[in-house]
Amino acid sequence: MPNDVTAVIQRRARELLSSGQVVMLLGYRPGRSSAQPAFITRPEDASLLVFDQSCGPNLAAFLPKVKHLGRIGVVAKGCDSRSIVLLLQEHQLRREDVFILGVGCNGVLQDSRLSDSCQTCQFPNPVIYDELIGEPAAASGQLKAAGGQQSADSGQRWQWFKNEVSRCIRCYACRQVCPSCYCPICFVDTTMPSWVGRTTRLSDNMLFHIIRALHMAGRCVECGACSRACPMAIDLMSLNRKVSQIVKERFGHIAGLRAEEKPPLTVFDPDDRQEFII
Amino acid sequence: MKAKGERRKTAGGMRKGSRRSAVGGQRKAVSSERSAPRILTRAEFDRLIDELVAKCAVYAPVAVEETGKLEFRRIGSSSEVKLEGLADVGVVGQLGLRPKELLFPQCEVLFHFSPSEPGRMVEPEPPQEQVLFGVRPCDGAAVAFLDRFFSGRSDSSAPSDIYYRARRERTTLVGLACNRPADTCFCRAVGGSPSGTTGLDLLLTDLSDGFLAEPVTEKGAALVADMPVASQADMEKKQRLAENAGQAITTTIDTASLKRRLDRTLVSEGSGPADAVWQALSLPCVNCGVCTFLCPTCRCFDVTDEEFRGRGRRMRVWDSCQFTLYSRHASGHNPRATPHSRFRNRVMDKFSYTVAMVGELSCVGCGRCISACPNGIDIRETVETLLKMLPE
Repeated sequence: MPNDVTAVIQRRARELLSSGQVVMLLGYRPGRSSAQPAFITRPEDASLLVFDQSCGPNLAAFLPKVKHLGRIGVVAKGCDSRSIVLLLQEHQLRREDVFILGVGCNGVLQDSRLSDSCQTCQFPNPVIYDELIGEPAAASGQLKAAGGQQSADSGQRWQWFKNEVSRCIRCYACRQVCPSCYCPICFVDTTMPSWVGRTTRLSDNMLFHIIRALHMAGRCVECGACSRACPMAIDLMSLNRKVSQIVKERFGHIAGLRAEEKPPLTVFDPDDRQEFII
Repeated sequence: MKAKGERRKTAGGMRKGSRRSAVGGQRKAVSSERSAPRILTRAEFDRLIDELVAKCAVYAPVAVEETGKLEFRRIGSSSEVKLEGLADVGVVGQLGLRPKELLFPQCEVLFHFSPSEPGRMVEPEPPQEQVLFGVRPCDGAAVAFLDRFFSGRSDSSAPSDIYYRARRERTTLVGLACNRPADTCFCRAVGGSPSGTTGLDLLLTDLSDGFLAEPVTEKGAALVADMPVASQADMEKKQRLAENAGQAITTTIDTASLKRRLDRTLVSEGSGPADAVWQALSLPCVNCGVCTFLCPTCRCFDVTDEEFRGRGRRMRVWDSCQFTLYSRHASGHNPRATPHSRFRNRVMDKFSYTVAMVGELSCVGCGRCISACPNGIDIRETVETLLKMLPE
């Protein structure tokens, strides 16, 4: 029997599609191992939709790819909704492009355990929505230190970083599942010039991951999709958390909370601290 | 310049017929007098591993601390090898990037050069002799496919890609039959078996009180030539395990019908009703390279030159048909510019293109792409839909 949230999502999807308010409902359907993104266009297919703790993928990543079809209905957990805010802030999406079915989230599972990013989630409820489905969820009280690189010793932090990224096979799953990574051509895919070597040797891997992390500064909503997607179990979230923490300290900014704000690294403010400029 | 073809001195010169001569030996099908299955106790197994460790690189699945997954790692002693439990695929999961990566490394230096000395190339040392323990039958089948693919001709088993061949000739594959397949396993649907021997030199079956060792090639036979011959009871036990494992895999795929249906879409790529099917199927796909890099038969590579401080090297590096750069022409034109056309290419490669090229499917049913896909795409469902939606 579908749980309450699933039942409401199915009903609302059917209504929104039937009335023509949306052309597609982006939600989740059960897969053989974990839930899969579902792209529902016919009201009669709404019964395929589910919502439970296996619904990990951040659906906001698909919005720029399907928005040309018309208005899209989308099921959004807290982190997904923050990604939508980020896409609005960066003009990748207009508010009228989406109808947001917000859901409170109790965390998603990875290998039957609560995903790392969900253990420290401070925003389990949607920050933007057209409708809220079900009960709001409680934020995690746990604040997790940013992994091995939190060590005071820079040598240890560097060792941690090298150790993690040495496993990278450059499949770019972290980039592809990330809603913040929407560039039509990524810096690693340019050949003239070739900014990053294509090998998996440590120097190439480090460069890719350093640039990826910096491009996430003030833009990562900490949904954890990258960490869950990584086939080599690289602790990308620790790196992201560290960058988020620095942005919060320096600029007082938390990514993807208010559509009218701008990520601090995309704008110039004469009052920014500039003590590093000699 | 070093001759690439130069044979490395391996463990040759050993007594013929001893297990030592297995290393570096020929991959000839085992002769009937040496094909008798043997029994390996744990103690014998350890002795065999330690003997091999002393003279060549030995790899076996090891639980990697950082990832919590099993990966083939080079081992230094028999105490590091735990084949027990490995036959239960459902519990221990799939075996990462290797063995493919040990035969076809993700990054391989082809030669070194120096811009100040035009025409001079230095090739790397030939690869080391290696023995892999605990290879799954699906991965053995994948190596057999790679052998045919890299041979360049469908009528020859001799690989002609010199880099692949150099490693392959120095590799011995000791398989381990899967007693309990995982729910992502579907080897039987694509012509394999959880106790298949294709591509392997020796197949072990975990009988829980020891291993049954069935020689497939002379190389494999030599490893266990001085072990006791298995009894009828051992053989019957193995038979039961193999039957149970086979029955656990229930997926079936009509691969002949699938190929006919796929081939009808060859002329209509990018348009028509078939294109709509591909579009719908590919929606959850984000075109990352997880499935192709983990796939034991995906073998695309790019060649890249690197130069630093007057020293250069030419390398080949894995590439993936899921990446935009893969098919982009120098002009900027990309014949496979859309995400769904890249999704389509992978499926076409597995079930149509390689059948035409080398006469074999390039899917061995290992299930890595299913369990690793970040968006839960299941190739079995994809194929099921294609069989339903594409006309024959």
